[in-house]
Amino acid sequence: MKHKEVEWGWMLAVDFFFAGMGGGMLFVAGLLYLINGADSISTLGTFVGIVFIGVGSAFLSLELGRPFQAWRVFMNPKALLTWGAWNMVFVMGAAFIYVALDFTGIAMPGLQTACAVVMLICGLFVATYPGVLLGLHAARPFWTGPGIVVIFLTSSLLTGLAAHDMANYLQLENSNLKNTILGLIFFQLLVWALYLYVKISGNTSRESEAAKALLTGPLSGKFVLAFLVLGNIVPIGLYMMTAASVVTASIAALCILAGSYSMRFVVVKMGEKRTLIIGEKDFMARLPKGDELFLDVLK
Amino acid sequence: MARYAMVMDTRRCIGCQSCTVACKINNELPLDIIYNPVFTDGPKGSFPHVQRTDIPMMCMHCEDPPCVHACPTGASIQREDGIVWVDDSKCVGCKACVMACPYGARHPNEVTGTVMKCDFCKDRVAEGERPWCVKTCHQGARIFGDLDDVNSEVFKLVNGERTVRLLDELGTGPCVYYIMD
Repeated sequence: MKHKEVEWGWMLAVDFFFAGMGGGMLFVAGLLYLINGADSISTLGTFVGIVFIGVGSAFLSLELGRPFQAWRVFMNPKALLTWGAWNMVFVMGAAFIYVALDFTGIAMPGLQTACAVVMLICGLFVATYPGVLLGLHAARPFWTGPGIVVIFLTSSLLTGLAAHDMANYLQLENSNLKNTILGLIFFQLLVWALYLYVKISGNTSRESEAAKALLTGPLSGKFVLAFLVLGNIVPIGLYMMTAASVVTASIAALCILAGSYSMRFVVVKMGEKRTLIIGEKDFMARLPKGDELFLDVLK
Repeated sequence: MARYAMVMDTRRCIGCQSCTVACKINNELPLDIIYNPVFTDGPKGSFPHVQRTDIPMMCMHCEDPPCVHACPTGASIQREDGIVWVDDSKCVGCKACVMACPYGARHPNEVTGTVMKCDFCKDRVAEGERPWCVKTCHQGARIFGDLDDVNSEVFKLVNGERTVRLLDELGTGPCVYYIMD
C-alpha cells in the first residue's frame, strides 16, 4: 500500500527515448531518400530505426496496468495516444518495406518513394507526439505549453541523426551528418535555455517554481551532468576535435544518446509534480505509507 | 437531460471525513484508494481570530474532461448528464487519464491494473438516490442535484450564492462548486 502522487514509471521515459529516436531515424531516412535518392543514408540505420520503435512500443506496453490488453490503445481515434500508436504501426510498416526492397535489390522506385513519404510524415509524428502529449497537461506546470514539443522534436531528430551516424560507421561508410548534428546540438541548448528562461520569468508562479526545481532540486545533477554536459558539451568537444576519428565520432554519438535518455527521464519525472489543491500536501503527508504497525491486522 | 453537479458548502463542512468513509465502504474501495478526501486549509490566524476551512474533494465531473480526451481506449466516458466514469473492461491502465486529471481524482488499482474514479454513484442516481457521500453528510455540506433543473437546490445555490470552482483557470469546467466563507 502506498499513498503518493501517481507517476509514470521509468519505462515511459525509455519508450519516449526509443520511439522518439526511431521516429527521428525514419524521418531522416525518408527525407534524405526523397532529396538525394537511394544510397543517401545507411540501410542498417533505417532497419535499426524500426527496431527502436518496436522496443519503445514494448516498453510502453509493459508500463500498462494490463499489458495483454495493449491492443485497445488503437481504439479511440479522438485520443493523441491512439494517433501515436497508429503512426508507429504505419511508419514501421513503410520502413520495413523500404528496407526489404533495399536488401533484396528489387527495383520498385515508385513503392520505395511512397514508403519514404510515409516514413517522412509518420516518422515526424512519432518523433513529435510525446512532446505534444506532455504539453497538453495543463495541470503539470513543468510540461504545459508548446515549448516541450520543440524540445522533444529537436531531441528526437538529434538522437535519430546520431544513431544514423553510428550505423554509418558500423557499416564502415563515411558519414556526412557531423555538421547537421553539431547544429542541432547548439539548437537544442538554445531551446532549453529559452524554455527555462520563459518558464522562470513568465507565465505562472507554478511554472516558475517547477523550472527552478529542475535547476536546484534532486534531479538537477542528472540534468546538468548527464544531459547538458555528457549529452551536449562532450559531443561538441569530440566533434570539433581537429583529429576526430571514427572512434571519437562514435563516442560522441553514444554520449548524445545517453544525454537524450537522461533528458527524457528528468522531464518525465519533473512533470509528475501536479498543481496541488489547498491543503492537499498536508493531507497526503498524513496518509499511511504501508509500513505502519496497525496495518498488520489487515494482512 | 439532466446535468448533474455538486455544491460543497465549506461553511458547513467540519472535516469529519464521514463522506470519505461512506464512499470507501459502500463502493468497496481498496485500502489505498480514496475518491473523496477532505483537505484542510489552516488553522490560520491567532486566537480569537482563528480560521480553518475544510475542502471536500472528489472528481469534478468536468464539462470538458481532459481525462476523457486523454484515454486511448475509450474506457473513460462522459455521459450526456455529465457523469464521467470508467468502463473497467476497456481500461488498460496506461495512466494517461491519471496524469491528465488536474484534481488527482483518478487512482490506479494495482491489483486489477485498471484506473478507478468517482462516478457520482451513478447506479444510485439512476434509482433516484443521492450519492453515498451526500447521503452521509450530516452537516448538509454536500448538495447534489441537476444543474438544469431551476427548482433544484444545486441550481439555486450556484446561481444565488457566490461560488468558486477549483483550478477554474485551467478551463476544464468543473461541475463541483464551492461556497467559501
